[in-house]
Amino acid sequence: MSVKKITTGVSMILRMLVRQKIVILLILVIPAFFLTIVELTSSDRILPFQLASVGEDIFVNISENGISFIFFSVASSGFLVSFLALNLIQKNNLVNRRLIICGYHPVELLLSILTVLVLVITFIAVYVGLLTNAFYSIEHLEKFILGLVLIGFVYGSYGLAVGSLIKGELEGILMIVLLVNIDVGWLQNPLFYAEAQNQIIIKFLPAYFPSQTCIITAVTDFSSSSSTMYSLAYGSIFLFFSMLTFFYKMRTK
Amino acid sequence: MILEVKNIEKAFGRKPVLKDINFLLEPGSITGIVGENGSGKTVLMEIIVGVKKAQKGKVHINGKLGYCPQKAMLFSHLTVKEHFDYFSIAYELDKTQSKLRTEELLDHFNFGKYKQERIINLSGGTQQKLNLSLALLHQPNLLILDEPYNGFDWETYERFWNYTTTLKNQGCAILIVTHLLSEKVRLDRIYKLENGILV
Repeated sequence: MSVKKITTGVSMILRMLVRQKIVILLILVIPAFFLTIVELTSSDRILPFQLASVGEDIFVNISENGISFIFFSVASSGFLVSFLALNLIQKNNLVNRRLIICGYHPVELLLSILTVLVLVITFIAVYVGLLTNAFYSIEHLEKFILGLVLIGFVYGSYGLAVGSLIKGELEGILMIVLLVNIDVGWLQNPLFYAEAQNQIIIKFLPAYFPSQTCIITAVTDFSSSSSTMYSLAYGSIFLFFSMLTFFYKMRTK
Repeated sequence: MILEVKNIEKAFGRKPVLKDINFLLEPGSITGIVGENGSGKTVLMEIIVGVKKAQKGKVHINGKLGYCPQKAMLFSHLTVKEHFDYFSIAYELDKTQSKLRTEELLDHFNFGKYKQERIINLSGGTQQKLNLSLALLHQPNLLILDEPYNGFDWETYERFWNYTTTLKNQGCAILIVTHLLSEKVRLDRIYKLENGILV
């Protein structure tokens, strides 16, 4: 294992990433666009909803636009990180394989990709967290940003898993859009799941715990440690699976 | 012996592509592989370099391998110089060696003026020059070249063969996939891949 190879890998992957204008545009514009739509469309009426991960009988009152800001910041972070993770692992698959033939170890390459992903997750979480706070005053901003890091971790690992398993770019994007849409974009909306017929299914979806962390830290003083731990566990499963697949596919025979 | 290919067999589903392929490459030789489109030449090259796995058989490489794939495998958002830097690290060349070899190859294949250009802005021929140069960067003693001159102009094509002949004289073993009959005179040995068999 060579540190020089990993740092060179990180430097090159970062250069490739920032040189893709569409990537920068997506990161900066999508959250701002989502939150602006919320600002323009949602009302101030107070809604009670159940905080499922804290307790069955715990209800909080929050304005419709408040919960929408939180919900859409989680959705945009999850979607962005997942898409970028897919891009990182899938786009240069063949050249990466060539690098391995030339002397890189698959683990060195994977560690380079993961380091870049961590930087991307952190940047997106801080940017989206601060942006959300500009629209709606978050109760515990640092913890809320941590919640966004968790959704980035879970969905970033999912993006890596999809990217290392599926060859086609379009199929990969479809897999991401489908799950993000159904999970983060719909079922994790607290206004939906509080009244959902079957909450068990919703609780087993990847965005459940990170969404709960974000909601708890944004509007209450309850502890989010349990949902944080479950988020880490969920993300780790995806990450382990994606690492295994990447290593299996990239190793020289 | 630099390369030994022994009893290689490969099939895609029920369709056999390579059947009991055997050959050796000695130092200081150029060996050509010809065959129709889809005859399995690229699959054989990929098995030799370790990209694909054979169902049976063994490949033994004794030395430093340089591989130039058929299609230019490059990072579209990195520059030519950054490719040389990235691959130098992969080959574990030190800074002096890397700089020296980079300048030498840029100069030999006459594309130094594109050093700071991103791949996405280069012509197919210039991309192919880089594709080939990356295989030569660490001065390998076994070169696997899969139609390495796609898109080359005549002058670059001649430069390529001059360079290859020099490498051969320095003891490098070269295996090249080709379609051009005119190249027969430059090769020490030619194999034809037909119905999965090397003849």
